[in-house]
Amino acid sequence: MKDLIRKLVEAIGPSGYEQAIRELIKEEVAPYADEIRVDAMGNLIVRKGQKREGGLRIMTAAHMDEIGVIATHIEEDGFVRFTTIGGVRPHTCLGGRVQFVNGVRGVIGGEKLDSMERVHSFDRLFIDVGATSKEDCPVKVGDVAAFERPFLDLGKRLVAKSMDDRIACAVQIEALRRLQTTPHEVYFVFSTQEEVGTRGAATAAFGIDPELGLSVDVTLTGDTPKGMKMAVALGKGPAIKVRDSGMLADPRVVRWMVEMAEKAHIPYQLEVLEAGSTDARAIQLTRAGVISGCLSIPCRYIHSPSEMVDYDDVQNAVSLLVALLSQPVNLA
Amino acid sequence: MDNIKDFLKQLISLPGLSGYEAPVREAIAEAWRPWVDEITVSPLGSLHALRRGQGPEPRPRLLIATHMDAIGMMVSQIVDGFIRITEVGGVDARILPGQPVIVHGRRDLPGVILQPAPRLLPPHLGEKSAIDMEYLFVDTGLPAEEVNALVRVGDLVSFAQPPLELTGETLAGHSLDNRASVAALTVCLEELQRRQHVWDVWAVATAQEEETLGGGFTSPFSVRPDLAIAVDVTFARGPGVNSDYRAFGLGKGPVLGWGPNIHPALFKVFKNLAERLDIPHAVEVMPRHSGTDAFAMQVVAEGIPTMVVSLPLRYMHTPVEVISLKDIQRAGHLLAEFITSLEADFLEKIRWED
Repeated sequence: MKDLIRKLVEAIGPSGYEQAIRELIKEEVAPYADEIRVDAMGNLIVRKGQKREGGLRIMTAAHMDEIGVIATHIEEDGFVRFTTIGGVRPHTCLGGRVQFVNGVRGVIGGEKLDSMERVHSFDRLFIDVGATSKEDCPVKVGDVAAFERPFLDLGKRLVAKSMDDRIACAVQIEALRRLQTTPHEVYFVFSTQEEVGTRGAATAAFGIDPELGLSVDVTLTGDTPKGMKMAVALGKGPAIKVRDSGMLADPRVVRWMVEMAEKAHIPYQLEVLEAGSTDARAIQLTRAGVISGCLSIPCRYIHSPSEMVDYDDVQNAVSLLVALLSQPVNLA
Repeated sequence: MDNIKDFLKQLISLPGLSGYEAPVREAIAEAWRPWVDEITVSPLGSLHALRRGQGPEPRPRLLIATHMDAIGMMVSQIVDGFIRITEVGGVDARILPGQPVIVHGRRDLPGVILQPAPRLLPPHLGEKSAIDMEYLFVDTGLPAEEVNALVRVGDLVSFAQPPLELTGETLAGHSLDNRASVAALTVCLEELQRRQHVWDVWAVATAQEEETLGGGFTSPFSVRPDLAIAVDVTFARGPGVNSDYRAFGLGKGPVLGWGPNIHPALFKVFKNLAERLDIPHAVEVMPRHSGTDAFAMQVVAEGIPTMVVSLPLRYMHTPVEVISLKDIQRAGHLLAEFITSLEADFLEKIRWED
């Protein structure tokens, strides 16, 4: 699965500009899908199975987009000023590298630091693409880029700039491959624009009109020195979301996921996340409301260029997703 | 309802935190059942009760939303048998230390919220400052092994203060936001038994208002009402806010919302009705998000003309919210009068001028 992960995390696809990653995922899922379509928002919607007795119409969503930057102004001497797409924070930027959708690469520099104690805000950072003037700058206002950082395989732990949420894309692809039979009509959605407000999942859910919705996304952890006070840790299994700051998982879904994990002897953790939300928020509020939950992959340093997950957690997330989707759902 | 006070005391004694409304939903359904024709529960857990009108079909529909979910807390971590908490809905951490609570674990456990001694807290938290929720704990009195066996991350923690009747027909307690409005809608439904009305009335107790306005976004999508009213609480005058124009007299009647979430013609109808019936009332300017389900309902599907009717409440989002029972009765009566005044062609009268 590591080759697949490498391929996915190294692709460039900031919110709204998911074409390259979509094509890549399309190739991976094509041999296993019963139906593939792309909706107006660019969501890649992959159906597997047909609703049979005891089955449901289920949507799972992993977002393809990643955080990034967009050029706002080119200076006379060729430096590119930029603003953010999604939750990029300035302290993760200085010295980093970016790759534009058009292939241009650059490094992030900053104006002279007044104090080592104070981080520059974005208006004092710029991208240097090696240009010497506005005229020879290969970047135009409006060009978008994502962070560039090669995939790092530390054995048990994996690091990349876009584990959020390509690792979940990998989990969905792998689950699709392994899902032999299902009583359900499962729509694996590779959604767009999650990082700018769970926008792709909203339209995908409206179109699919699912009876049950799950997002697959990363969650923060509390297992680093003097870090957040949070019960989730890397390596203790995928997390079953109880709540995050944007949604309350349906208690029936939480119960069902816990039961299935225990039955299949898959380690799991319960997640209460105090910052951030996922596509499940959008799915839950679709139409007359959708019973929704979220399967999370614990991830350190989210929204930095070095997001870290545990490979066992990833594989266990696949196993749990397959277990959840291959049998009738009991929400009693 | 003969004794709205007892019913309200029952409602606020039941848990039913956002997303977990089942206990209070069942009590509301039981109270409403004799007065409505159909009761269903939405995928998100909102209670939909339909009382059919007497007009010819197809009848126009009115949806009245009162959110039934309550604020509270949730277990975020367990450390040496002590429980860390996070909020469900907006909880003011300043009032938490010393509160009695119930931890809804494998079984319900009484507990108290404690604040560690200043020397155990980070230096930036002075002896006199309020402590952020992340530093507070719940103590159940049980040894760590038992806590670990009975409690897990994600379990709910609710306030355990019993309702307290104050003098002057007022009631103090937690969850009066927004169970007091559920009581007002109950008064309205009861009054409708003795009245004729043309329109179908959908009494809805919404879920998740305090977190996502979830019920407000989803219930109108299935009901598709022609009009929608949110009944919620607003700030009552009290210590320090007696002269504030954004606060309203406790016991001085319901408050009519005015602002972008409210259809101006619908507001006018309510205002004229309250004046004609001599129901004391006030007007609240809601310049932005009304902070109610109306914000969500207004933009569901093709859009819905919405109205906000509020009950003045003191000490909102604390376990000692104070409400006037008279305001509940008056709001219920005003809603019932509005419903009976609705004629089949009412929508024509509130149409935007072209």
